[in-house]
Amino acid sequence: MADNRPEETMRQLVMALLDGDQAEAVGAALALRAAGIDNGRIIADGIEAAMGHLNAKCTLQQFNLLEIMLCGRAVTAVMKALFPAEAPLAPTQGTVVLAALEGDVHDLGKNIVRMILTVEGYRVVDCGKDCLLDHVIETVGREDAIMVGISGLISTVVPQVRRVRGMLDTAGLSAVQVMTGGAALKQVSAASLNVDFVAQTAFDGLHYLRAAAPGVGR
Amino acid sequence: MNSLERIAAAAAFGTPDRVPVVAQVFGHAGVLAGVAVGDYVRDGALLARCQLAALAHYGYDAVFALMDVNVEAEALGARLRWPAERYPSIETYPLRPDRLDFARLATPDPAHAGRMPELLQAARLLRDAVGDEVLVVGCVLGPMTLASQLLGFEAAIYLAIDEPEQFGRLLDFATEVATRFGIAQIQAGAHLPLVFDPSASPELLPPQFYREFLLPRLARLFGTFKAAGAALNWLHTAGAAESILPFYPLVGVDIANIDYAVDPERALRALPHTCLDGNLKPLAFVCDTPADIACAAARLLDLFAARGGFILSSGCEIPPEARPENITAMVMAARRVD
Repeated sequence: MADNRPEETMRQLVMALLDGDQAEAVGAALALRAAGIDNGRIIADGIEAAMGHLNAKCTLQQFNLLEIMLCGRAVTAVMKALFPAEAPLAPTQGTVVLAALEGDVHDLGKNIVRMILTVEGYRVVDCGKDCLLDHVIETVGREDAIMVGISGLISTVVPQVRRVRGMLDTAGLSAVQVMTGGAALKQVSAASLNVDFVAQTAFDGLHYLRAAAPGVGR
Repeated sequence: MNSLERIAAAAAFGTPDRVPVVAQVFGHAGVLAGVAVGDYVRDGALLARCQLAALAHYGYDAVFALMDVNVEAEALGARLRWPAERYPSIETYPLRPDRLDFARLATPDPAHAGRMPELLQAARLLRDAVGDEVLVVGCVLGPMTLASQLLGFEAAIYLAIDEPEQFGRLLDFATEVATRFGIAQIQAGAHLPLVFDPSASPELLPPQFYREFLLPRLARLFGTFKAAGAALNWLHTAGAAESILPFYPLVGVDIANIDYAVDPERALRALPHTCLDGNLKPLAFVCDTPADIACAAARLLDLFAARGGFILSSGCEIPPEARPENITAMVMAARRVD
């Protein structure tokens, strides 16, 4: 006989998310809703718990993009099911601006970071790929961001990355943290790039963000 | 001992007169000659001239008839964007996961499709120029990377999970494309086509996926290349590939490229009988100094001194904007010249 207790259904949701099983995950989330569990708890105990498992794997160096992409796709499906009118999930953390800079049209890594930070309660403003640096700085100021994240797969963006800190300072945005990641940029030290942190993985970036801005949000 | 003999000796764990050195210089050869990368990758004759000029300048052991990672996708209908000073990138993928009709898909004819004939021309001219003195390396994308270039990486991955049979057929098609293109390169004069498969990296896909989906196709590909006359089978998987290294001998890899993210000591243990090439950090050729490069190269040379089976190289492509003196430092290190 099936175990219909909410805690068991929550466990099934977590497992389905980790397996990347969209249909199973959505089914479990809707069953939780039907049992009277609110969206906030489904996110905290289901989605965030699944991301926590992936996070733990990541720190153990047993991580690959496939798993997080599949989990991310299932998370997106669950979020759509929980918020069918696309009502925005109120972010409880600060704002992060993400971009891949001019000349770099690769955005897979950036999109993964966006998904993780969104699930973790950050408000993410995504400037997209092949983005002019001026636009990024302007967005950071306009959106009152606590951090800007630059993803870089190709080496030719390095000179642009080195200018970010100076441009933020000039714009009166010295308090904004600068984090980079991606295949090219993670080969270089933070000091060489003139940034605050070089993330080796998406979760590495999340850890830094939590530590760098502990006072923000909940 | 000439360059080709030197590399063959290293691959066979023989005794080369010195450690071979292969700089993965592609677009940088254009930059060195004052040619825009966008022009370099479109004109086989120009590419060959730049490669030969770079060979004369640096004195390493191999030249590359290699344009960029979009040659096959373009030949299959991808629309590219063409920035003048950078490599092209895909604007529109040639296939859609919801419209895969393998009965209507044909492998492109390397003699006519897209820039394939230009790449063959480059291989032909390079071989004419260097003969069997220097290794002439062509390039095909590995099955996973080509599948990613045909659909987009995300779409390819989701297809693998949602419709594994269709994904298998896509990989088979990609393998056929690589086979035909690689054989054409060998016939044009390349001593071997490097199989470049960065999308198969364990940073992206788990080793089980590699074993199930990719290993049989790579075995087929390398077997065909050897039968067609490839001097050696050379596999290049980017990133932290340690977990899949033990698979390489199973598919006939003679030379395994290791990227900077791979610990060379662990690679050495994982592949005791396979020649390794690598693994200086590519961006170090842009950001570091010749002394840094010499120091890092010396560490690698010392590590492999007793074992042999080693080619000094970068872990991946040396960026086009690399400082020439850094490449020279790597070559001098292999020659043990201070």
